[in-house]
Amino acid sequence: MNILETKGLYHDYSGLKVLFDVNLQVEEGERHAIIGPNGAGKTTLFNAITGTLCPSQGKVFFKGKDVTGAKPYQLTRMGMGRSFQLTSTFNRLATFQNVRLAILSQKGIRFNLFRKVDKMMDITQETLEILKRINLDEEMMIPASLLSYGKHRSLEISMALATNPDLILLDEPTAGMSRDETHTAVEMIKRLTKGKTVVIVEHDMDVIFSLADRITVLHYGQILATGTQDEIRQNQAVKDAYLGEAKV
Amino acid sequence: MKKVLKWIFWIALGVVLILIPKFCGIYYTNFFVGFAIMAVFSQALNLELGYTRLLNFGPAMFFGMGGYGTALALQHIPGMPLLGALISGVFLAALLALILCPLIVRVSGVAFAMLHVAFSMLLYMLALKLRAITGGEDGIAGFPTPPFSIPGVISIDMKNPLNFYYFAIVVLGICMWLMWFITQTPFGQVMVGIRDNPKRIDYLGFRVPESKGLVYILGGAFAGAAGAVFALFQNLISVDSITIVNSFTPILMTMVGGIGTFFGPILGAAFFQVLEEVARHYTDRIELVMGLMLIIVVLFAPMGFMGLYRDIKAKLAATSSDIKI
Repeated sequence: MNILETKGLYHDYSGLKVLFDVNLQVEEGERHAIIGPNGAGKTTLFNAITGTLCPSQGKVFFKGKDVTGAKPYQLTRMGMGRSFQLTSTFNRLATFQNVRLAILSQKGIRFNLFRKVDKMMDITQETLEILKRINLDEEMMIPASLLSYGKHRSLEISMALATNPDLILLDEPTAGMSRDETHTAVEMIKRLTKGKTVVIVEHDMDVIFSLADRITVLHYGQILATGTQDEIRQNQAVKDAYLGEAKV
Repeated sequence: MKKVLKWIFWIALGVVLILIPKFCGIYYTNFFVGFAIMAVFSQALNLELGYTRLLNFGPAMFFGMGGYGTALALQHIPGMPLLGALISGVFLAALLALILCPLIVRVSGVAFAMLHVAFSMLLYMLALKLRAITGGEDGIAGFPTPPFSIPGVISIDMKNPLNFYYFAIVVLGICMWLMWFITQTPFGQVMVGIRDNPKRIDYLGFRVPESKGLVYILGGAFAGAAGAVFALFQNLISVDSITIVNSFTPILMTMVGGIGTFFGPILGAAFFQVLEEVARHYTDRIELVMGLMLIIVVLFAPMGFMGLYRDIKAKLAATSSDIKI
């Protein structure tokens, strides 16, 4: 069954056509990568799926329901989580508070004005567990803005995961990381997303070939090919457009 | 140990508050009530401005609404109890916030600020022109002050300034405690989350406009409570309370004390009240002195007194750890 599907998705930014008849199918449980050169429309596709913008034409289906134009908070409550290409955390709050907000939302504690949050032991416990799993337990009292780049990125990804989504969309999770940090991050993503559906946008070919089950190649807003790693490697159109260039 | 110290602090504070009228005389007791009203008013604004970054540039609207609500209730409804009048003031201020918030939560930044200036001007003109209801420039004065009474148990005469002092301090103290509690709840976390990154709050599954609306109504209600006590305290409410000047006073107090910290607005309110009192002895140009102090604070402590305190503490901690190395 397809957990996520787009049908004939078009988008243009006041005349500039960015997405052109995109039909993406993501099966439940797979790790699906979207690759493509700069300006191919990967982030726009992400934004159209996650509700940041409403596509000009076409439909988005999540878990079989039409969610075109739904708000981000509605999608999150349905079980969709996303991380951002540019790290987007609560910079003045401690790492602990960042993760705790995600947990609070996941538990449906949104307008509670009657209990102190520090006294909610189950929330604290769960937050500490997540911090431990992502190796941020030592930095938990530090404001997010003061974390090292790699740790900050881990926090970004883990906040998307902490809402316990069924479908996770990661927008360039390893952007700007060093080789070591990338390796750690890939291991972390593998570990934390076990049994979940992941859609990932990435430039780093090593990351993609070590993570993805299936790959979709996006080129000037159109899908060039979709298939397994081998199929993509053999595909002539992809070689011409993307992979070939990278080898030269 | 820490808990014991905390209790000692609260008991000491309670004793000081009880003894203020005994040692300070009626003038300074009233001075203290004035400070407490401004502290609650500034704190209500701080919930919006500091914690959630809602640029409310017209908090005097809600302050005034609280005052007019209380005054009108006492003037027109015979046998209105004191707490009933207070609650009508708070209710009217919250109602104004409720009416404004569907429009206001949809805008942010400069538009949000400008809409508030516009609405408070509108309300000012209404209060000025609707003479039949608001008394125009003269305001509403001389409304009866009922005793604070629980039927069959107790009845305290509120015309006695000493009794009124205790009443005002208890009401304002409860308001202050409630606001502090709000910042400690899960919703308080959502508030600071919206300040830091509303987009992410949305993506975590919280409703941003509705949350902003709730903060807005709460802030309005507490500003209304300050206004209601103010009206009872002065036995007068006039258009002066809705002016732009009265909107900017709590903004200045919050900025100078330290925006986004809980003690900042209290400190700021104390600072400006004392400054005004001291300056009054030497000059009639009180605004000049206050403006000068504001410039000094903005130049040398842009995050206010609390920011200054934090910086000094961080510096001291840094030097002491240097010695250890």
